[in-house]
Amino acid sequence: MKHYELAIKFYKKQGPRHDKALWAIRQKRDKAIKEVKEWEILRTKASEIKDYVIENLKELVDEFIKNAKKEGIEVYFAKDAKEHNEIVLNLLKEINAKKVVKSKSMLTEECGLNEFLEKNGIKVIDTDLGERIVQLRGEKPSHIVLPAIHTTKEDVAEILGESNTDPTYLTRKMRKLLREEFLSADAGISGANFLVAEKGYAVVCTNEGNADLGAILPPLHIISVGIEKIVPNMKDLGVFLRILARNATGQAITTYSTIFGKKENGKRVIILVDNGRFDRLNTQFKETLKCIRCSACLTTCPVFRRSGGHSYRYIIPGPIGSLLAPLVDKEEYKDLPFACTLCDSCEMVCPVKIPFSKQLREMRKYVTNENIIIKFAEKSMHSATMFKLFSKIIRLTPKPLLEMVLREWSKYKALPLIPKERFIK
Amino acid sequence: MKVGLFVPCYINELFPEVARDTTILLRNLGVNLEIPRNQTCCGQPFLNSGYESSLPQNFEEIFKKYDYIVAPSSSCVATIREANLSVSNKTFELVEFLHDILQIRNLAKNHQPVILHNSCHSLRMLLEAAPSELNIPYFNKVKNVLGCRVLEARRDECCGFGGVFSVKEGFISYVMGKSKLDDLLNEDNLKDIKDIPIITGVDMSCLMHLKGVAEKENIKAEFKHIATILREANETL
Repeated sequence: MKHYELAIKFYKKQGPRHDKALWAIRQKRDKAIKEVKEWEILRTKASEIKDYVIENLKELVDEFIKNAKKEGIEVYFAKDAKEHNEIVLNLLKEINAKKVVKSKSMLTEECGLNEFLEKNGIKVIDTDLGERIVQLRGEKPSHIVLPAIHTTKEDVAEILGESNTDPTYLTRKMRKLLREEFLSADAGISGANFLVAEKGYAVVCTNEGNADLGAILPPLHIISVGIEKIVPNMKDLGVFLRILARNATGQAITTYSTIFGKKENGKRVIILVDNGRFDRLNTQFKETLKCIRCSACLTTCPVFRRSGGHSYRYIIPGPIGSLLAPLVDKEEYKDLPFACTLCDSCEMVCPVKIPFSKQLREMRKYVTNENIIIKFAEKSMHSATMFKLFSKIIRLTPKPLLEMVLREWSKYKALPLIPKERFIK
Repeated sequence: MKVGLFVPCYINELFPEVARDTTILLRNLGVNLEIPRNQTCCGQPFLNSGYESSLPQNFEEIFKKYDYIVAPSSSCVATIREANLSVSNKTFELVEFLHDILQIRNLAKNHQPVILHNSCHSLRMLLEAAPSELNIPYFNKVKNVLGCRVLEARRDECCGFGGVFSVKEGFISYVMGKSKLDDLLNEDNLKDIKDIPIITGVDMSCLMHLKGVAEKENIKAEFKHIATILREANETL
């Protein structure tokens, strides 16, 4: 099913609730960013740092690898998802791991790691509360920061077999269940929000501390991360730590912002994943590599709020997902750049100033095949005489026929009346 | 100062009165206005649908002789601005031109209260008002030019028109239009309005979409382009 069909299904079920919940987060974000008087300067700074990063990505990757090794971290470079998954599997096999605790990582979703490990007999427990909920429901996250925003407390009670739907009660129950998993896991896997090139550090931001437990308790901690997450130095990291949580959820900073170096009680491994990123640098879509996955573009998107994340069918939904998904599968996701009114709200909230409207129009072009009739129409419109001819034809077309041609409009809305006379005759 | 009037194609076809009101208003304000007869479309429908178009270059050829180019539509102006042409920075949306170039304020100060729909291109692309996403001080050029009591929606989000979006995703387009209407006509805004509420804006495309929803839903409101309000107000001054 395409976006417009899934959107109707979702909206009729819970669109208004979903819209309201996410708009409340947008408002919290607005309030939080207005507390920082230099907010717009921070955005410009963040955007400049990211421009520098994508222009110097190869050098920064090399610098990071050198410094991470010096720090005492084992580093791998994976060309694609398959290579990444195999590296993870080998690392787990080495210690004969049976169970891993995972914290949120959009990259492992991109690589399909969970399915791959399960197929190889390794149990994967997602430990972010929202991610655990969707995992137990047999679903994928519908939002990259609020993975279970499409569910209700009743849904959560149901998967836990509880009749009590009190959120605090359910959270405590989940916490207890997860604590047992943490204590018995053989390894922890997490993503990283940032990599600091000058130090070789990985920075992980969570609100639940689940990444920290997974990093500290088991003897092996694997960090899977896309190469674009690199920032040059600690000073630049400061800019992003100030921006990330405010823009995502309206918090001043995430509850846990941990800088990981060498692991004291075992082994820490970082797998840098390319999976098409270096190639993307040479395309018109290279600016999408500036994204820090703050999710503000999803939360603000008026279409996303009403259609839900699953209507995008890709692991990263919303405006940024509509720029990433067609690069993975052009045919399957060609409807996504059109699931958008080009309202520009995403561009306004984007902390690294990705030019969304321009990129989305570019993506529409990328997924659209040349059409000889459209080409002819475009050429004709250079001439006022031809335009006038079209105008005559439309005026002679009977209204029912017009309504049929424009049925997606007329199903829901009245068509405007066509006046007899034009202004420029 | 020679000014060229750019009549967006959909205005020419569907809302000739908006072009007429813009013309009368500008001429009454003493603007030396010309209307090139050979103008057509800025190319936006093609560019936003994934096709190439050299219509912005065609526009440049037709309009380059003017000191300023004015259009009663922010989305067409945004298309020309984005095309990076010699005419890009001298092409203005009507209210922008009145506000920034002619420095006009309070033109309709005796008008009854109106409800303003800040359209996306006006708000976020031309920055005719402060979008809620940014941390910048509040301002609204449309309000300044009008000068009467202007009520706004609580959320400054998109009305759901979106050009090609309105025919590709008719349903979501409609529900967005419905929530925009409900918001524009919220109880605080309606408190002091005795007659049928007037909803205005700088983009007739959004107003056409909202009007379409209102008609289907039997919601009573009058939709009036800003040019019409300003023309009427200027004539009664």
